[in-house]
Amino acid sequence: MALPAPVCGTVSAHRAESLIRLGLNPDKWDLLIALAGNPNVGKSTVFNALTGLRQHTGNWPGKTIVRAEGAFFHRDKRMKIVDLPGTYSLQASSSDEEVARDFILFGRPDVTIAVVDATRLERNLNLVLQILDISDRVVVYLNLIDEARRHGIAIDAARLESLLGVPVVSGVARSKIGVDDLIEAAHGVAVGDTHPTPYRITRFPTAVEQAVTSLASVVTETFPSLPSARWVSQRLLNADDAVVEAVRSGELGQLGDDTVGPTPTEVTSTARTAVLNAAQRLRWELPTDFHDTMTERTYGVAQGIAEQAQLRGLKRAGFDFDRTVDHVLTSRWFGFPLMLLILASVFWVTIEGANVPSAMLATLLIDTAHPVLKGFGETVGLPWWVNGFLFDGIYLATAWVVSVMLPPMAIFFPIFTLLEDFGYLPRVAFNLDGLFRRAGAHGKQALTMCMGFGCNAAGVVATRVIDSPRERLIAIITNNFSLCNGRWPTQILIASIFIGALAPAHLAGVVSAAAVVGIAVLGIAMMFLASWLLSRTVLRGEATSFSLELPPYRPPRVLQTLYTSLIDRTLIVLWRAVIFAVPAGAVIWFISNVTIGGPSLAEHSVDWLNPIGLLIGLNGVILVAYIVAIPANEIVIPTVLMLTALTADVTGGAGAGVMFEFDSANATAQLLRSGGWTLLTAVNLMLFSLLHNPCSTTIYTIFKETRSVRWTMLASLLPLAIGVTVCFVVTQMWQLLV
Amino acid sequence: MVGPEFALLFFAILLATLAILLWPRGGLVPRLQRLTRLDERVRLEDAIKHIYTCQSTGHTCSLDSLAGCLQVSRARAATLLSRLTVMRLVHTGDRGPTLTDEGRQSALRLVRTHRMWERYLADRTGVPPGEWHDEAERMEHALSAAEVNALDASLGHPPWDPHGDPIPTSEGEVPPEFGISLVMADAGRTVEIVHLEDEPREVYDALLNDGLALGDRLDIVARSDRAVRVRSGGREWEIDPVAAGNITVRHLPVGEHADTTRTTLCDAQPGETVRILTISQVCQGAQRRRLLDLGIVRGTEVTRELTSASGDPIAYRIRGALIALRRTQSGWITVERLGESRRAESA
Repeated sequence: MALPAPVCGTVSAHRAESLIRLGLNPDKWDLLIALAGNPNVGKSTVFNALTGLRQHTGNWPGKTIVRAEGAFFHRDKRMKIVDLPGTYSLQASSSDEEVARDFILFGRPDVTIAVVDATRLERNLNLVLQILDISDRVVVYLNLIDEARRHGIAIDAARLESLLGVPVVSGVARSKIGVDDLIEAAHGVAVGDTHPTPYRITRFPTAVEQAVTSLASVVTETFPSLPSARWVSQRLLNADDAVVEAVRSGELGQLGDDTVGPTPTEVTSTARTAVLNAAQRLRWELPTDFHDTMTERTYGVAQGIAEQAQLRGLKRAGFDFDRTVDHVLTSRWFGFPLMLLILASVFWVTIEGANVPSAMLATLLIDTAHPVLKGFGETVGLPWWVNGFLFDGIYLATAWVVSVMLPPMAIFFPIFTLLEDFGYLPRVAFNLDGLFRRAGAHGKQALTMCMGFGCNAAGVVATRVIDSPRERLIAIITNNFSLCNGRWPTQILIASIFIGALAPAHLAGVVSAAAVVGIAVLGIAMMFLASWLLSRTVLRGEATSFSLELPPYRPPRVLQTLYTSLIDRTLIVLWRAVIFAVPAGAVIWFISNVTIGGPSLAEHSVDWLNPIGLLIGLNGVILVAYIVAIPANEIVIPTVLMLTALTADVTGGAGAGVMFEFDSANATAQLLRSGGWTLLTAVNLMLFSLLHNPCSTTIYTIFKETRSVRWTMLASLLPLAIGVTVCFVVTQMWQLLV
Repeated sequence: MVGPEFALLFFAILLATLAILLWPRGGLVPRLQRLTRLDERVRLEDAIKHIYTCQSTGHTCSLDSLAGCLQVSRARAATLLSRLTVMRLVHTGDRGPTLTDEGRQSALRLVRTHRMWERYLADRTGVPPGEWHDEAERMEHALSAAEVNALDASLGHPPWDPHGDPIPTSEGEVPPEFGISLVMADAGRTVEIVHLEDEPREVYDALLNDGLALGDRLDIVARSDRAVRVRSGGREWEIDPVAAGNITVRHLPVGEHADTTRTTLCDAQPGETVRILTISQVCQGAQRRRLLDLGIVRGTEVTRELTSASGDPIAYRIRGALIALRRTQSGWITVERLGESRRAESA
């Protein structure tokens, strides 16, 4: 065992070590602030008010899964602030809670700001009390006092401060009220000007109290400098893994307050084992409802404190907006029609609104800029293949993805985010949960599904709002059944050429639109079927815990939402799509221009895949297009047209490896028909476009979210297998019957 | 080119073959896996466990009981016993085979693995209770001592399995079992269920279907050789001796009684405020902790506020927040109704 080093050195070195383990570089600030709180108390708004960084804040429980960090200066000190996930408790029973708890315990922030929703003080105090159990350096920010006032609630901050024993600042983060006081109070605690004496829960019911007290005395004996021996004992009795490990490794001894300081004497491993053994012995004697009792006690204390701090006799606002709106939005008669109306308008606005900017972008990037770039390449004397590779391959694929993808996403995501911020989306989940429950899924999957209509990768990211492991996996794996906006153009084009043509001219538009909607509805049906199957087979054993909080309605901040949803969702997704489109463009150009014994690689693979394609009612061209277009569904149609022109030897193509689209549907129809396309091919292409593997952006996102090759494989191959099967059966039945 | 009839036929045959091979439980591949598992080691371990169970329940163990339990012939059972004797795990005396100290240790290891795995299934997965035992039977032969210790740590060294049995520690310590069989409970007293035996599965399923769970309180109305008559939650019914023998209970102090009516949160009327009493022990693991963390603890007053357009879930005002719960969840939560006056006040 090493000799005890100077106190300060040991402690800070240890802390630095823990911080690095928690993913923070300890050199870059003077004071570290943690921001904790229940879900949906405006924690992220406080974060933004403090840092000015516009982090997206949704009206959703559990938005901050990935920890957000920011920094600001105060009195020449660089303050680093870490936004912890919103949790109901710190029992470490979900990954969010574990992250929050580990950070407060082992990261030892200089001060923890506990954000509290003044309208739900009692519920919020449950978490605050748990934070006070771990740490002395806490400041409570009583947020949303304006909302509370409307509900006829006022809280005596001074009284609350004396009851909790830590500074309490009240305010409204949205309008930056009380934020300066909060910074001042946090600074005071962090530098040690203020010495909080936090309330600690004692007097558990007898059996539990005895165990806690007797273990606490062992813990104090072993780790004398520890500020929270009782809490450590509770966690040991609860057999909290991280705390047990901290005792075993001796790290717990380093957690003592480093400003006060008897030297943390080296604790021998024998003593540490003795603590663990004592905990193990005491656990046998605990009643089985030990955990229930502790939670009950904490909530009991929270209730007591809340009652004392709350001012009574205030007049409520006469009209309860929330309740009235809720009764309409969730009513038996209006609930579903209103929901369909709202969602349908969102989609209509997206599709209609995106047409014009999409066409403009296409004109700009493809019709105008592309020839200019190629001409430029020629004038500077690039070899033809470099020029083709760069501008026909890479540039064109990227331009296509941007012009098809950007406008609908830039419209869809902000609208969706506004609905989310207002608080409507949780009500959609609430209304639809009955349906999803029968499929073994979570009501919130309705939202991730809708998000998938915008972009599957965004839909997969959105599944973070589902906090139950099994239901979240189901939502991730089945998101691809939502027809994303990269696939809408394919559907619309093919439907109008082949299906609309079947109907009399004046009905053509309606019929083809109905066909596309039919495909989207089929996708929803497949999503339910797949969810049902998954929840009864491979995902049976995954843990499940349903809960759905319906947050109060809050007026959305339109401008900020437009800005953040553009940054958060649209640009990130677009950037990722572009990254994947670049190699796709390169490959498409490459296989069309590299020849083996005459025909190009592309033609060879088309010939080779043709028999398989025909068996499922498609053809070699479509299969090759789908293989090279894994990165982005947007370029399927241009690739198909290019390959058809290449293999069918017709005029009208723009050259090997140059993707193109016609201005008129007629020209496209002519080219496709000369490539051997029939109505059957069209139907199957529409089916296959719905039912095939997700694009590589989505696959990558699924892997990032699940961290599992197995689930990623399943999510990629399941829709593909279904698609091949459906196309095969349709084709063979068609040939049998027609 | 193959005609569509043949293509479809071929496809149907392919599907059928895959189904026959891979169907969960019934398929050939899962069956084959089960058969190959039943090798010598598994048989030996099952034999040790059987003898241990006999000893701890006070039954005498015989060649017949062993052969019956393992579903093998008497001759095979005898071979197994003699191998165990050679391995010095079993000592054969006048009163049938008994475990040596070493044998007892390996039996405890098996029991530990079995119960630990059941705890794991209950806490960390969504596997239904009826299937815990079979899964654990499989895993107890597959996990090494080190793996069990790791599991132990990650589950937080649970002292009890989900049926109320103690889990032996890694040192082989196990606290004495307490409680008596429901068959022995005194008429007129009130008992609390401390253990529900999960074997055989048919009996266990019947107990679960009866809504019985750990921690439930029963008033013993009458007891005879043919049945135990109990009352709980306003319901009175008879439990046959076989099922009653699988229930371990402890007497509660005289004067305590089972709940007369069992009203659950799901029975609350729109706008009604009720007070939480308990969460059923059927709800365990992550689900239970989530409910507790949401503030559903004894004494909390909860108002039913909103019904979703599809009728389920229902949103309740719980400590200031509007929380939606599904019917299955609210059915786990026992509540008491508040008086009419309170209802008027909250409306």
